[in-house]
Formats: sequence, structure tokens, C-alpha cells
Amino acid sequence: MNDFYRFVIMTTAALAVVVVLALAPLPAQAQLPTDPAERAKVVDQIFQANARQLTLFDRQGKPLSQIGTRDMYGAPALSPDGKRVAVIKADIDKETNDLWVLDVATGKGIKLTSSQAREGANSPVWSPDGSHIAYVALRGGNFSAYRKASTGEGSEELLYRSPGILTLTDWSVDGRFLSFFSTDLNGGTFYALPLDGTGERKPIEVFRNKFQLQGAHLSPDGRFMSYVSNESGRNEVYVRPFNPTAAANVAPAKGPWQISEQGAQGMAVWRKDGKELYYIAADRGLMALTVSTSSPDFDFAKPKLLFRSPDATPVGAGATSITPDGERVVMSVPPPQLRQLTMFDRQGNVVSKIGQPGLYVQPGVSPDGKSVVVMRTDLQTGNLDIWTYDIATGKGTAITNDVPPENAPIWSPDSKQVAYVSTRQSYAGIYQKSADGTGDEELLFRYTPGAGMVLTDWSPDRKFMTFYTGVLLLVPLRADQQALDRKAIEWLREDYDVAQGRFSPDGRFLAFLSNEADHEHMQVYVRPFDASKPEAPGPGPAVQVSKNKEGAAGMIFWRRDGKEMYFMTRDWEVMAVDITSSPTFQAGTPKLLFKLPGPLVGNPAQWKNVTSDGERFMFAMPVK
Amino acid sequence: MSHRTAVCLALAAMLLAGSAWAHHNMSALFDFNDRVNLSGTLTKVDWRNPHIELIVDTKSGEQVQTWSLEGPPPSFFRARDINKSDFEGALGKSVTAEASRARDGSRAGLLRVMTLPDGKIVSACPQNC
Repeated sequence: MNDFYRFVIMTTAALAVVVVLALAPLPAQAQLPTDPAERAKVVDQIFQANARQLTLFDRQGKPLSQIGTRDMYGAPALSPDGKRVAVIKADIDKETNDLWVLDVATGKGIKLTSSQAREGANSPVWSPDGSHIAYVALRGGNFSAYRKASTGEGSEELLYRSPGILTLTDWSVDGRFLSFFSTDLNGGTFYALPLDGTGERKPIEVFRNKFQLQGAHLSPDGRFMSYVSNESGRNEVYVRPFNPTAAANVAPAKGPWQISEQGAQGMAVWRKDGKELYYIAADRGLMALTVSTSSPDFDFAKPKLLFRSPDATPVGAGATSITPDGERVVMSVPPPQLRQLTMFDRQGNVVSKIGQPGLYVQPGVSPDGKSVVVMRTDLQTGNLDIWTYDIATGKGTAITNDVPPENAPIWSPDSKQVAYVSTRQSYAGIYQKSADGTGDEELLFRYTPGAGMVLTDWSPDRKFMTFYTGVLLLVPLRADQQALDRKAIEWLREDYDVAQGRFSPDGRFLAFLSNEADHEHMQVYVRPFDASKPEAPGPGPAVQVSKNKEGAAGMIFWRRDGKEMYFMTRDWEVMAVDITSSPTFQAGTPKLLFKLPGPLVGNPAQWKNVTSDGERFMFAMPVK
Repeated sequence: MSHRTAVCLALAAMLLAGSAWAHHNMSALFDFNDRVNLSGTLTKVDWRNPHIELIVDTKSGEQVQTWSLEGPPPSFFRARDINKSDFEGALGKSVTAEASRARDGSRAGLLRVMTLPDGKIVSACPQNC
């Protein structure tokens, strides 16, 4: 995971909860263009797809008011009196995130921070009296905790300079501590930052283990802390005693107590009287449960649903905040997210719609044209799984059904298997499973720890898979090798970006995206592929297939007869190109087939969504 | 925030962040809390995706220690008007660097900042910070 990307992921927790672009590495075309007109267009596309409406609800889920207008809002935090909301607002063009405080009644705001490009603020928390806001800011390459008057007056105070990423979660009711966490593939740690005294404070390591940890909110009496951990295999809310003087890796004498029952996204905050606790469940439900911290043990009742955000506009934990009295909730509500699998003909007419609307992304049509494979987020569990759908009947089949997210599905050449990427125990791997969902999945290849990879194709002879990481890699699938013994081969590794390898039907060429000629624009190229020498492209220059100024977004596809290719431009135009491959590869002039109303969610640099005869095109279209 | 949630939050981040690649998770291999400061001679530059690699020879007494420093991808530097030639011009010359040390204890690090012989400061942050 990269630079600002990594930071913004931490900071814009509300921006795109169900924008399921779970495809690991970033397509190079995501870089903002420098041409002003082109840049403005891209900025507007990002805004339209992601801008959120801050909305105030009562605890039954009745909308009370909208706060201001739609914007790139994330991480809202209601003030203790519920009259203001601190929120992180992204400026797409300037590549910054800054902290704002908005008046709930009028929507008018003041800006508390002024970040440089590719820097920003995140995770605001209010002081108990509402006079100050603490936040994390990235400046000069360092993440630090600051606080500033919530009126915006005066200068900010540096509280703690962190060696790595941190996320603030709470300001204790007695005003003595800030709590924050830091978590990565090696585990998580909770800290309390004492606010006594002046100057840089020294954090106290409160609790650490090998699991991913989030949250950490102190009970009003300061005796317990609530948090979210994936120690059971999925995220759940826990409560444990808070003892800042105990060793961080020592189990408490009592607890922890798991209080969520069906998974939790996060939040886990206390009512100011310490008698109720709230969290966001896996199915987006805002849950409440009666708790007691007055006895030596922590006591709690069964969680009850307060309300759930609609399917079309699902809102997660990072986009939700509740007042200390538990009466008002603010959510940053995204644009509608449901999508319909839709088949188009070559003229752009809708031919059919497959199944019901859902949270779909990355549809891929089987080589026999009968089925589609897709990534699907379950609205109840929040799990991201691989599904196949029968195109004729719309009947769906779960290929995976588990907590780890799967992505980048592709079909085997005979349409009998589906391959996909999933990260298990820190390792991304390629798995395959029968396309009818039966049998066990099989690990085919395991990559380096924590690595992202985008799987894009399976060679016609089934002997290679290809994926990209900025480098285009091949995985030889020798039958005499175990999955863990297989090594990826760097087929094309340069100082420019390459993506979306696609084998020609005869296996003699690989098409791919590259920004070799112009680092701001990817284009489609074809180079010879020799299965007996997979360490590098075969002899001869790369032939450029796409030729439009703004470049290609992906969707590279070879027609089965090898006489036509397809790709998508950055303007969501579906293009076709006549080609010949004997004796050498040659490409004609691309022609427009049809144009889609963009932007579409997903990563076009993985799409393989065309029927083998080039007559039909499948997209996950937004449901209005 | 869960890993899944984090990954799913990517749209705005992706589009704001620009092009960048990594073939492994930084925190899996490098400890951000364990930094090392190096002074030595830049001996090699590998300017390729998914991340550049810089080799720095340092001296510990009479013994030469060879450090491998991993940087962001070339596109990261390109967006900041830093080019391959900036590093190639420093080959064989003295540089200083700050890096997060590899968790396996090897002489490898994740580059945070490098100061080139002409005084130019090249930051790999926020990507590597």
C-alpha cells in the first residue's frame, strides 16, 4: 500500500465504504492529469462518485436534517452538545484533507487546518467540554497528534510526534487522556496519551496483541475500554478493564468480554452516563446495548438494533458519530451504491439484466458466454465474496463465503473453474474453485507478505496466469510443482507502469496497458509471448493498439477468432480494433462502438467482460 | 478500521494518490518504530517498478557494510520532479539516509529521506512514513 493512499485510507474512513475497489494495487491511470481541462474532468468524476451528504438522524433513524451540501466528507464527529460536527474534507484537486467544524443548524463551517499537497488531517475527537478538538496530521512526513480550539482561534498544540501512522479515537470524559491505536499486519496496539503538563507527551502502551485492533473508547468512569478486534476471525466489539499502569501484553484479571454477536464494523462508543454502548454491526445496523460498569465486573445486555442505513446507501462505522447522550446520530451518506449486472450489445443497447441489484463490481463473462463471475459484497455480513451468475436465469452461486475478502476473479479457459485473489495470514494468493461452487478451493500460488496483486488472465493452454503490481508477472502452473514452490516471473519490469496482461487466443501475444510513452496516459500495447521463454517479451517492438489522446482505462479483450480487440477509454468509451497476427501483429484504427455514462466503479484494468464472439459487453451499472 | 474496510475505502484515495505500486506491505517487512541513519556511498540505483532500490555502502571501522534501501516507485518521484538522473549523479558519492529497519535484522531498510551530495533532500514520505 502506498504513500498518501495509505494515509488517506486512514483518514477518509467515511468516503467510500462500499465503493468496492478492493483490487489492491492502483491503476496508474488514477494519477490526476496535469492538463487543466482533463484534470477538472477527472476531479469532477471523483467528486460525483464519492461526495457525501452529512445527515442528522434521531436514534430511531428518522432523518432530521441535512448539514450543508454534498462534499468529500469523512470521519464526522459530533460535538458533545450535538450542535457542531468536526469532519475531514478532502480537496481532490489540491490533494489534501483538512479538518473542518460545521454548524449543524446552518451547515456553515470553519477550517481548522491548512494542509500541503499530499498531506492532511484525520481522526478528529472532541474534548469533553467541546472547547477543543484533537486530531492527527501528516506534515513533513510525520504523523503527529495536535489539538486546537474548536473555534479555530489560536494556534495548534503539538501533543505527540509518532514514528508511524496513528488514529485517534477518544478523549476521556475526565479530560486526562486521548486514546489512539496503531495496527498493521503484525498486530495492533492501543495507547493512552496523558494530557497533563505541557510539551510533547509520552504515550502509554495500554494493550497490544497480534490481531488487528481499532477503536478504544474509555468508559465514562475510566475503568473499562471498548474496542474492535479480529481475534475471532472477524471484527467484533470487546470490552476490557482499562489500566494504564499494567503491562500492555498481560491479560487482564477479568475480561475481555465480547459484546457484539454477528460481527462489527466499529465505533463502540459509550453514552456519557456509562449505561449504554453503541456500535455499528457488520450489516450496518447501529446497535445499542445496556451496560453497567458499577460492579467489579462489566455487565451487559443483548445488543438491540436502533436502525440500519439503506441498502442503496450503506454507511459504515467510519462515517457515523453519535452524541454523548445517544440521541442524535450523524452519518456521511454516500451516493447510491447498488448496481445491476447489465449486458449490452455492440451498439450500446441494453440486452438483458442479470439477477437483482447488489453491491457488484468486476464482472467477468465466461468463455462459453453462459455465466458471469463477479465480486459481491453481502449487505448482511459485509463479506466480500466471489459469485457466479447464470446469464440466462440470473441464478447466483457463491464461490466463496467467508470473512477474508476475495477479488480479481477470472475464468479458466474451459469455463469450469474460477480463479481469484485472497489474502490469508498476510499472504496474497491465487486460488481456484469449481465454477459451480462445489468442492474445496485450491491454492495455486502465494505471493510475498501483504502484497497486492491484480489477477488478469489465464493462458489458453492453462500453463500460465498473469497478474500485475506495476510490473507484469507470470505464474507458470507446472503440474509437478506445489503452490508454495511456484515462483512468479517478471515478464515486463520497467521504470514505467504496466498492467492488465491479456493472452491472445493463440497464446502467441500478450496485450497490456503501459504508460511507457507518456507517464500520464496508459495505452494498450501488444508484444510477442513465447511460452518457452517467459522471462521477457519476445523479439520485436511493442505495437500500440489504442491511439486516443487521453489513453486507455483497460478492459483489454481479444475476440476468440483473433481478428478484433476491445478496450475502454478513460471517457468510458468501448472501442474495437481490427487486428491481424500473422505473420506479425498489426492493429487497425480503433473505432467507437458505444459510450457508457461514467464513472463506473471498479478497476477497468482487470475487466474481462466481453463475450468470446465480441457481440456482448457486461457492466455493473449504477441503479438510479 | 479493518483491513477489508481499509481496502474498500480506496476510491478517493486511489484517485487522489496517483500512481504507485508496491509488491509487499511495508509494515510486514519494515519496522516504522526502528529507524536507522546511514552515511555512506551510493553505489547502485535500480530505478524500476514496483519500487526503486538504492544501495549504500557504509563503513563500520574498517569494515564496509552494504545497505539496501527500498524506495517508492519511479512514478512517486516523477510526480515530485525528482528523476533517475538525480540519483545517478550521486553514484560513487557520499549520501545520508534515514530508513525504517527491516524486521528480519538484515541490512535493509525502507527509505524515508535521503540527502544527495548537492544537498538536495529527497523525501520518500508520506509513502514510506
